[in-house]
Amino acid sequence: MILAALLFVPLAAGALSAFARKRAWMEAINLAGFAIAFVLALVLAGEVLRRGTVSLWGDFLYADHLSALVALLTTSIALVCAVYAVGYLRDDEQSGAIEDEPAAKLRKYYTLTPLFVFSMLAVVLANNLGVMWAAIEATTLASVFLVTFYGKVTSLEAAWKYAIIGGVGLSMALFGTIVAYYSAQHLAGSGELSSLNWSVLAGRAAFLDKPAMRLAFVLVLLGYGTKAGLAPMHTWKPDAYSEAPVPSAAILSSVMLNCALYGLVRFYVLTSRCLGTEYPGRLLLLFGMLSMGISVPFVLVQKNFRRLLAYHTIDHAGIMVTALGIGGKLACLGLMLHMTFHTVAKSLLFLCAGNVYQYFHTDLFHKIKGGVLRVMPLTGAVFLMAILAIIGMPPFSLFQSEFVIVRAAFAGGHAAAGGLFILFGTGVFAGALLHVGSLVLGPAGAPVAPRRPWRDSSLVVLGAVLIAIGFWLPAPLLDLIRGAARIVTGD
Amino acid sequence: MHTFQDPQFGDKVVTLMAALVLVLQIAMAGQRWIVTNIRIFAAQSFLLAAMAFTIAWFNHAAHLYVAAGLTLLVKVVLVPILLERLVERIGIRREIDPIVNAPLSVLISGGLTLVGYIIAESFQRPEQAGVAALGHNALAVAISLFLIGFFMTINRRKALTQVLALLCLENGLFLAAISLTYGMPLIVELGVLFDVLVAVLVLGILVYRIRETFESMDVSRLRRLRG
Repeated sequence: MILAALLFVPLAAGALSAFARKRAWMEAINLAGFAIAFVLALVLAGEVLRRGTVSLWGDFLYADHLSALVALLTTSIALVCAVYAVGYLRDDEQSGAIEDEPAAKLRKYYTLTPLFVFSMLAVVLANNLGVMWAAIEATTLASVFLVTFYGKVTSLEAAWKYAIIGGVGLSMALFGTIVAYYSAQHLAGSGELSSLNWSVLAGRAAFLDKPAMRLAFVLVLLGYGTKAGLAPMHTWKPDAYSEAPVPSAAILSSVMLNCALYGLVRFYVLTSRCLGTEYPGRLLLLFGMLSMGISVPFVLVQKNFRRLLAYHTIDHAGIMVTALGIGGKLACLGLMLHMTFHTVAKSLLFLCAGNVYQYFHTDLFHKIKGGVLRVMPLTGAVFLMAILAIIGMPPFSLFQSEFVIVRAAFAGGHAAAGGLFILFGTGVFAGALLHVGSLVLGPAGAPVAPRRPWRDSSLVVLGAVLIAIGFWLPAPLLDLIRGAARIVTGD
Repeated sequence: MHTFQDPQFGDKVVTLMAALVLVLQIAMAGQRWIVTNIRIFAAQSFLLAAMAFTIAWFNHAAHLYVAAGLTLLVKVVLVPILLERLVERIGIRREIDPIVNAPLSVLISGGLTLVGYIIAESFQRPEQAGVAALGHNALAVAISLFLIGFFMTINRRKALTQVLALLCLENGLFLAAISLTYGMPLIVELGVLFDVLVAVLVLGILVYRIRETFESMDVSRLRRLRG
């Protein structure tokens, strides 16, 4: 029941917002919907920890540790972004950033965001790989009009790129799914709906048709890799992230990335159980290294801080794919830790960037000329802290997860990958620190900004979480992360 | 044995239709009129639905009848109507502006078909014959469709024609699904078709707004010159 409720709540919130008359109603529906969804995700995590797996409707919906972890991350960020969005959109309306038809635009935002979250939850709760594909495609369709929110020429271009590259990429993933279905066709019970269920296929992975699985994995890697923004299919990412309204960009860059990686991880499990870890591992390492490598020059020369964060997300998608490619217990634990930490830190960074953007009305470094810390003390401080966290400075949590991944790389005999990891990491470290340091520090170039309760409170909460998880992970969350890593390694 | 129960006859029918689908795809890659392109797409989708129907008939696969019917509804009726309306509203007739010219496009499509046949070789299972192998010939066509669709998305510059290329990619996938596995489970097929329909709507609105924005940009330029 919990699974159906978790899907139903955001869907209902989207439907209600479509018919709500006043802005206050839409805000309240969104806040309430995401708060309930967050509680439900917590309950689901508890159930999964107690019973191992939860399923409904003859295994049509299915949740294990991995699904529960991603669902929990999705709903928590959705809730924080919903709080932030209230202040953000009111500010936009007052400053005239959405001057033509503000009511219609607000309705669009408050309707599409819950639908977007619904489709992401459907990705992690669907057991059938075909249904999972349809849900991932739905995340693109639900978020295209969030990218065009401001209706500028550039946002149309960004949305077009996002939709077409995403559509072509995902068609490859569908082809991969069909081939995976074919690879199980000679087994008993084929042709039924359940024969494409992950839980069924994972149990029989050793008997799948090997050449077919080989092809299926390549196609799925290209497809979901496009959705995750792995190089060289990453070109839509900086455009979409810098054009979408900031709360949507935060969701896109953190939890939608998780959903795409989730799809990839599910197929990795099947492929590694069928063909061994070496074949998928090599491909994943290739794409991971390429993504990390490509992001370095773009981070170094970046002029726009939202695009900087987007290239940073490409780097982190590369890190996570690399961790999956290394394989083994330690790297998979590192992957799940990194996914959790990255989600918190990256969405926090986007929210900080949104505050700066709205106050200065630009996202170019040279126009702001530094001093954010003096103009907006809270935003500046959190921004600096979050950037230090995400580039892997101790004592923040991402240092731990990246350290675990590098250790696993050297221990697993991937010395070249480990060395490149450190090299690229240093490049991104230098670039991001230089840019954000010059943005945040320095003399004030503008009058001190007023306090903004909605946005500041979400920054404080997420910032506190980021500090806390650097020192202490709650035992149930750690169990969930360990369980998710165990699903990947299969023991 | 009655002709309509003879699997060899079924095999011939399916192969013939697959060949026609491929011819239509190459025709689409090589011509420039957008309305014709939409109609060729409708005809191709109709042939695919007919293939699904034939395979369902010879294999007694009930869910494939439903998939065939839905394909007929969505891809032969709804999507072409939506696209033709869009073409009418934005007032373009001949918008396909390919990077590579038509003869070369056809040549490249032919080459990609060859690649499709080579890839499909690895899926041949000699131990399967008769009814079970029905439609396996179509796999090569499906892969070719996919590759040509891929080429078409890259080759076309204008928004609406890219949507058509994306739809062709999807047709290739549908053919792959029916020829490899007699279609995906019904709920998956439903989900995919729903996504196709929503994608056409979303992309259609986007095309319309791109067109609108760029026209208004032209108008503003005219005003500036007057001042």
